[in-house]
Amino acid sequence: MFGNLDKLHTGWSSGKPTGTLQPEEKMAILEVIQRNELLETAERQRVGRLVERVEKIKQRAAECGPRYCRLCGQSFGLLGPSKLICDDCQKPVCSKCSIELHSRETTGTRDIWLCKICSETREMWKKTGAWFFKGIPKYEIPQQRTSSSRQSFRDSKLRQEKPVKLGIKCTDTSSEEEDESTTEVDAQKHSTAVLNGRSSYCSAFNVGGNRKHPLVNRQNSATDTQSNQTNYDWETASISTTNRNGRRGSVTSSMSMSETSSANSSNGMGCYREPCFGWLELSVNYSEADHTLDCSLLRARDLPTMDVTGHADPFCKTNIITPYGSKQQKWFATKTVHKTTNPEFNEKVRFLGVEPDELINGSMLYVVILDDDRYGHDFLGAAKINLAPIYSSGPHRMTVPLDVEDNFCVEAAMSGPWLFGQILIALCYNTKRRSLIVRIDKCTNLMAKDKNGFSDPFVKLQMRPDSQKKKFKSSIKWRTLNPIFNEEFAFETRPNDLDKQLLLLTVWDKDLGKSNDFLGSLILGGNSKGRRLKQWKDCIRMPDCFHEQWHCLSGEHIPN
Amino acid sequence: MAGGGDPKWQKDASDQNFDYMFKLLIIGNSSVGKTSFLFRYADDSFTSAFVSTVGIDFKVKTVFRHDKRVKLQIWDTAGQERYRTITTAYYRGAMGFILMYDITNEESFNSVQDWVTQIKTYSWDNAQVILVGNKCDMEDERVISFERGKQLADQLGVEFFETSAKENVNVKSVFERLVDIICDKMSESLDSDPTLVAGGPKGQRLSDPPQAGPNANCNCGK
Repeated sequence: MFGNLDKLHTGWSSGKPTGTLQPEEKMAILEVIQRNELLETAERQRVGRLVERVEKIKQRAAECGPRYCRLCGQSFGLLGPSKLICDDCQKPVCSKCSIELHSRETTGTRDIWLCKICSETREMWKKTGAWFFKGIPKYEIPQQRTSSSRQSFRDSKLRQEKPVKLGIKCTDTSSEEEDESTTEVDAQKHSTAVLNGRSSYCSAFNVGGNRKHPLVNRQNSATDTQSNQTNYDWETASISTTNRNGRRGSVTSSMSMSETSSANSSNGMGCYREPCFGWLELSVNYSEADHTLDCSLLRARDLPTMDVTGHADPFCKTNIITPYGSKQQKWFATKTVHKTTNPEFNEKVRFLGVEPDELINGSMLYVVILDDDRYGHDFLGAAKINLAPIYSSGPHRMTVPLDVEDNFCVEAAMSGPWLFGQILIALCYNTKRRSLIVRIDKCTNLMAKDKNGFSDPFVKLQMRPDSQKKKFKSSIKWRTLNPIFNEEFAFETRPNDLDKQLLLLTVWDKDLGKSNDFLGSLILGGNSKGRRLKQWKDCIRMPDCFHEQWHCLSGEHIPN
Repeated sequence: MAGGGDPKWQKDASDQNFDYMFKLLIIGNSSVGKTSFLFRYADDSFTSAFVSTVGIDFKVKTVFRHDKRVKLQIWDTAGQERYRTITTAYYRGAMGFILMYDITNEESFNSVQDWVTQIKTYSWDNAQVILVGNKCDMEDERVISFERGKQLADQLGVEFFETSAKENVNVKSVFERLVDIICDKMSESLDSDPTLVAGGPKGQRLSDPPQAGPNANCNCGK
């Protein structure tokens, strides 16, 4: 130390200082570095939590295209929320999912709208310091609450990597499900493990054209080599997870700065979560002694919304699908949970007489979540659970991502008789005539009200409120339960008014000499749900063309 | 080092209840009073005894400013040149600098320009700087007038304070002002350049610079 004294200056000198540090100096500096390291670790975790928060919001976003709110997926229009454009991402967003902000610029302040994702991203950029470093600093995504064994495995892994190098290992995260999230290593390690939500990963990730459920495959090709096929899908699952980690890995590369998170979202995020149908949590148990399959439908999360208030009225229909079709003719239906997209069902279903070979030979448990509405049950999501692993390894509790609609969903939705039949109508707003044109195409499966086993149906139409107070009647189709009308009716109205108006349809059986019999009703308008809401809004948004849609008739009378 | 076993420090350091984290660096020639300045601010203590800082040290303090909790990690650096390789390694993470001279020491004032060069060389280009003339309680020994200090600050385009860690003059104001400047810069940078947040190729450009950390430039341990 003293040998270097001549080189100690308080000011500035040319040349590089060469003083070597004494042991006690090293100790002192190391102590500071270690203290800093603690702080940095906490900071990386904090940044990780902030990043994860935004990622979660992004995942929940509907992202259905330019005609719908980026976040909640509501379509815009006169009946729906007005369309705003987010100043940052330039994507359309509704007023509920955005905030107004005074932005300071060199030219002065101006008011801008930001969607929730961009406003949260901005906030995240402030809080993480990314605004300063022009990129998100290194971070660690917080650990999932997982099974104890895996947790300790990850912990030890992390501990090994922690010292000095600070290369951050990112463990999987984004998803909310607890057991299913796996790191790449986990996926490989447990690739032999049975259905632990991973089969659902297959369905969730292979949304592309070639995605096939192992069971669906088998249904087509009878008794094929099932084990092979199952294995194939396990592999796909693990590859998908790898991709996913790869994607995250790019965010938390060992560079000091990472790509911006939104760039990251554009190249990977959207594709595997779209379309977004939410999740179903259930537990399944098979008793070989009793030949019963017990299925507890616990809850669903993040279901699509079905009405303008952002709600749905979900219920489940469930059945076992064997290679020969659905096992029970009648699908079991749960009670409806009203006004929610995160319903708690907590209902148990017991399937009796389920033979072991049925499970082994590729049956699946099929749960369809539908929206309960008196004019039809719109599809919310479907879960397909391979039952072979359930047979071999006992009870399972799982959270599965919901899948797109297929034939079984239609079967489920239509099972249970629609007493009042269906009606096909087309709507068109004609801008020249300034009128809503309603075309009654046809009805099917109407109720028989006459002694001859038929009805003599006709349709009455009116708008409410309607300044013209117009009421229309279609012609009468004699002796039929499946009448074809193809008649058009025009209601003078403005697009702006359509927002608040309802179209009321009633179907009647013409009786001579006594009062007509009621056959069914349908109301369409801005407060309708699902398909009906879509037809109504499409009609407003895309005028001068017909929008055709089947609807179920309800038995409810419409008061005058 | 000071603060290591201090319960107050531990409380502040482990406190995760804050909105922003700013890293600040105090630089300047040896014995201008950087450590005293920090101790006055963080612990409200002062000692006249001169103990040269070994390399680097830091303290943590959480302040409440504009409805936001801001956690400050304030780095105290050794003024001695022999530690310069260590201290400059921490420039890169710093959002704000307190550049300090001693109003009774002409040489420390003359070095300010060199320190500015250091900042420009090693820090992010949008780091904020405040010039501070310390020991303003020692009016009798003053050699740098307030005007000279102010003039230099204007020339450098930074704000200026005269302070006394001993008499607790302007110490808090310097930190508060620096936090404010950084906060302003923060809103400004996000409002004026939203594409930054929205992503795109811009974000990648900055992933290149080498990591600023104890290991990047430090040859002390080898």
